[in-house]
Amino acid sequence: MTPLQLFCQQLANGLTLGAIYALIALGYTMIYGVIQLINFAHGELFMVGAYVALTLVLLSSAGPLPSGIPWWMTLLVCGLGSMAAAGMLGAAIERFAYRPIRHAPRLNALITAIGMSFFLQNALMLLYGATDRHFPNPIPLTRWEVGGVTVTLMQLVVWAASGLLMVGLQLLVMSTKLGMAMRATAQDLKACALLGIPVDRIIATTFVIGSAFAAMGGMLFGLHYGTINFHDGYLMGLKAFTAAVLGGIGNIPGAMVGGLVLGLLEGLGAGYLSSQWKNVFAFLILVVLLLFKPRGLLGERVADRA
Amino acid sequence: MASGHRARVLIRAACLVWLAGCGKPEPVVKIGFAAPLTGDQAPQGQDMLRGAQLAIEHANSQGPILPGIRLELVALDDQRNPTQAVAVAKRLVADPDVVAVVGHLNSSCTMPASAIYHQARLLQITPVSSNPQISRQGFDTFYRTCATDDLQGPAAALFIVKELSAGRVFVLDDMTTYGRGLANELIKKLSALRVEVIGHEGITQGDKDFVPLLTKIKSLRPDLVYFAGMFPEGALLIKQRAEVGLAGYFMGGDGLFDAALIQLATPRAAEGVYLTTIGSDIHQIPTAREFVKAFETRFGSIGAYSAYTYEATSIAVWAVRQAGTKDRSAVLAAIKRLKDYPGLFGLQGFDAKGDSLIRDIGLFTVKAGKFVFLKAASWD
Amino acid sequence: MEGFRNQTVRWAIGVIAALALPILNPNPYHLDVLTNALLYALLALGLNLIVGLAGLLHLGYAAFFAIGAYTYGLLNLHWHWPFWIGMIPAAIVAGLSGVCLGVPALRVRGDYLAIVTLGFGEIVRIAFTNLEQWTGGPNGLLGIAHPKIWIPGRGLIDFGVASMPYYYLVCITTAAVAVVCVRLSRSRIGRAWVAIREDELAASCMGVPVLQLKLLAQGCGGAIAGLAGAIFASKQGTVTPDSFDFILSVMVLAMVVLGGLGSIRGAILGALLLGSLPELLRWFEQYRMLLFGLTMIVMMRLRPQGLFGRSSQGLAPDRAHAGSA
Repeated sequence: MTPLQLFCQQLANGLTLGAIYALIALGYTMIYGVIQLINFAHGELFMVGAYVALTLVLLSSAGPLPSGIPWWMTLLVCGLGSMAAAGMLGAAIERFAYRPIRHAPRLNALITAIGMSFFLQNALMLLYGATDRHFPNPIPLTRWEVGGVTVTLMQLVVWAASGLLMVGLQLLVMSTKLGMAMRATAQDLKACALLGIPVDRIIATTFVIGSAFAAMGGMLFGLHYGTINFHDGYLMGLKAFTAAVLGGIGNIPGAMVGGLVLGLLEGLGAGYLSSQWKNVFAFLILVVLLLFKPRGLLGERVADRA
Repeated sequence: MASGHRARVLIRAACLVWLAGCGKPEPVVKIGFAAPLTGDQAPQGQDMLRGAQLAIEHANSQGPILPGIRLELVALDDQRNPTQAVAVAKRLVADPDVVAVVGHLNSSCTMPASAIYHQARLLQITPVSSNPQISRQGFDTFYRTCATDDLQGPAAALFIVKELSAGRVFVLDDMTTYGRGLANELIKKLSALRVEVIGHEGITQGDKDFVPLLTKIKSLRPDLVYFAGMFPEGALLIKQRAEVGLAGYFMGGDGLFDAALIQLATPRAAEGVYLTTIGSDIHQIPTAREFVKAFETRFGSIGAYSAYTYEATSIAVWAVRQAGTKDRSAVLAAIKRLKDYPGLFGLQGFDAKGDSLIRDIGLFTVKAGKFVFLKAASWD
Repeated sequence: MEGFRNQTVRWAIGVIAALALPILNPNPYHLDVLTNALLYALLALGLNLIVGLAGLLHLGYAAFFAIGAYTYGLLNLHWHWPFWIGMIPAAIVAGLSGVCLGVPALRVRGDYLAIVTLGFGEIVRIAFTNLEQWTGGPNGLLGIAHPKIWIPGRGLIDFGVASMPYYYLVCITTAAVAVVCVRLSRSRIGRAWVAIREDELAASCMGVPVLQLKLLAQGCGGAIAGLAGAIFASKQGTVTPDSFDFILSVMVLAMVVLGGLGSIRGAILGALLLGSLPELLRWFEQYRMLLFGLTMIVMMRLRPQGLFGRSSQGLAPDRAHAGSA
């Protein structure tokens, strides 16, 4: 393997993890955009998505479905199912935990989110057990060599799924009425309410979409790594938050870029420097970048509130 | 004003909960158990708990531990946090019914807690904390049923050199007391045997993506990759190693010895992986057959730590029976008399420091989706 | 005047009750839980200066605690510094690291500051894990000396692993730090911090040296955490990096918010409540962290402004919107 091939391989490796980070970071950033909440429970919604997808995959392989269904069909159904489940849960959390304290000081919502994160994480542990669960993967183990760089079908699925979702989200936010209402709510909640925009419904919708994206990330995560554990959401949530800030929190293309950049940084850090320092490396780059671009890579909004 | 009132009500409610916690003691003998039962190391801790529960059930089925007194297990969660471990230790120490403690899991928790048990003259048997430093403190209350890291590492090194004749070794660990300790012992012996260790790196526990690291290792062309850590990360390393096409041997320590390893890594990728364990195959020891059967019918497959914990708990029960009283010093005196105890791994006993005398290292490989016992390994 | 005296009396009653408690209930476990909760209170007091008064969201506060613990541990292991002297450099080093972090970090604002401090916390913890030759790596520092005290007639007494002396040590330290915090918050500096928190632009226009005061808040908060770290190290006898994870930073923040931002008695009570709650919930075994999370949600819903917070904090979302639009 030449150094160039090695570098390209590491790029491909980093992009896969980065795509999953980006999916989770999108939800983070959307929710932050509309109500300025760092939703610490987002990593747990990601895990809920992963576990629901696991349940559906197990059901579909053992259940009454006729055999011979192509693998992508199974995945599509499982993905939509887990997105729906996590979306509903996200909306419920917003309705019962965050909405009642929306007008309280901002840090309270943060603490509620942390409490929610503890709650969901332990609920998952009690429901599914504490041990790592094997995530069966219906995707065939196809791989291609492109100029010495190996790409697997699994990686393609991750890229395609996250790419499609991101383009879809961008279209939704930029060119539909709902998206316009979301952007308006993000700019000024009170004025929107005065103008007759149903802000409660817009915020709930944002939670549904954000949670559904996290769930999709959860399913791809489970498929790609083959094992899931109730505790995985903590680290992934933290990374996704970092990615969202890196790109400029509240900014949707920023979250995508942030996720991909963080994945690349970690991949290249582990690949060229040292795996035990890779998180330090990623955080150092983040800190240095924020010193020169205090609003993240693509951020425009200043969030100057503790 | 109304809000201030509500705050006061909240505080009073908290006080009530506190007072409710201080109930009257029951006429029982208790064996304490401490390990992480929630948080990221809950899987291992709950594995241990099952072993302890089974041991207590067996003990109770053999008749009362002391005339007319029931035996009970008090399981406490230390969340692998040293601060909580000390609090848990003090709680066990403060309960006069507790006559012995089985725990903790992490050496970083066992270490500060052992000082508390020592001061209270309370017997502590750790099933799994394998850091050699703990028993060097000279506490006569401390015992352990597992072997220390300074045995497994050298045994693996000898196997690598003599049987596999690997010349270039890359060592990974999970940056825990267990993993780093084991890796350091292995490297020490490898260097003494003049084997080239081409790299030593840590991974983060809970991380999932090791592909970049393995891609880098692949470009260094090692003959063998050794991983000192637990099975969840081990399984991912093995699986992703196959994905990146990293050839050569893969070897690990007893942290990988869990049936879940093969399932999580997929049997195909795990084929040919070597690992060392403490004691020989639990499924093949005649003395352990009954335990294995009982455990598997009650809980399903045996985890890496269940057997050690069962052993530790059974020995604690044995010591209480021998003492014939709830007196803690009598229990301590009793365990000093323990010799050739018919345990799961053979005839169990302890040296002067409290370390287990069973120092057999078993060598296993994965064949057709199953762990296969190769031979007993030596460490010098 | 009347209100002031009333409050002093209440504080005095609190302190006397705290000092008498070990005599009424000498159970070492209960004392240890309270000692840990009071250590949390010490941390909450320090973080309250940064988040509550100066309004800087800090998510890596555990790093200062770690720096204090390691500083005392290393001084004690290598040069045999006794605890009573070693805790001073522990506080100073942690305080200085707060200032050093602040110099670059205060260029970013709001939630970006939160992520920079989070990164700082993670970097410090991973560095302590990785720098094996100095910090002992994952094993940490072992065999750190407990404090010793000379009592007339009984000679030099080692605190050992007993609960009561640590309880008194932490109790007295917390009380002393609380007094300092109260004085500080009522001083020019404290009022300037609140001014920055409420409106940074207005404060700087009025001639408040914003950057210096923010650095001071970071330094003071860091020093308090460093002091707590030294006490923690001497109490445990060992220091390992996994005691200082992100969850700890988050917990201390939750205590400050629960108590009411900027309120000193709130920080103490919030810490006592959240610090002892997981122990109180032990009875529920595996359900306890689930219930703990639920309790946090319910408490925030019942007391949105915290136990002792004032309703106007200048941190409500609508204000924030006005600032960014």
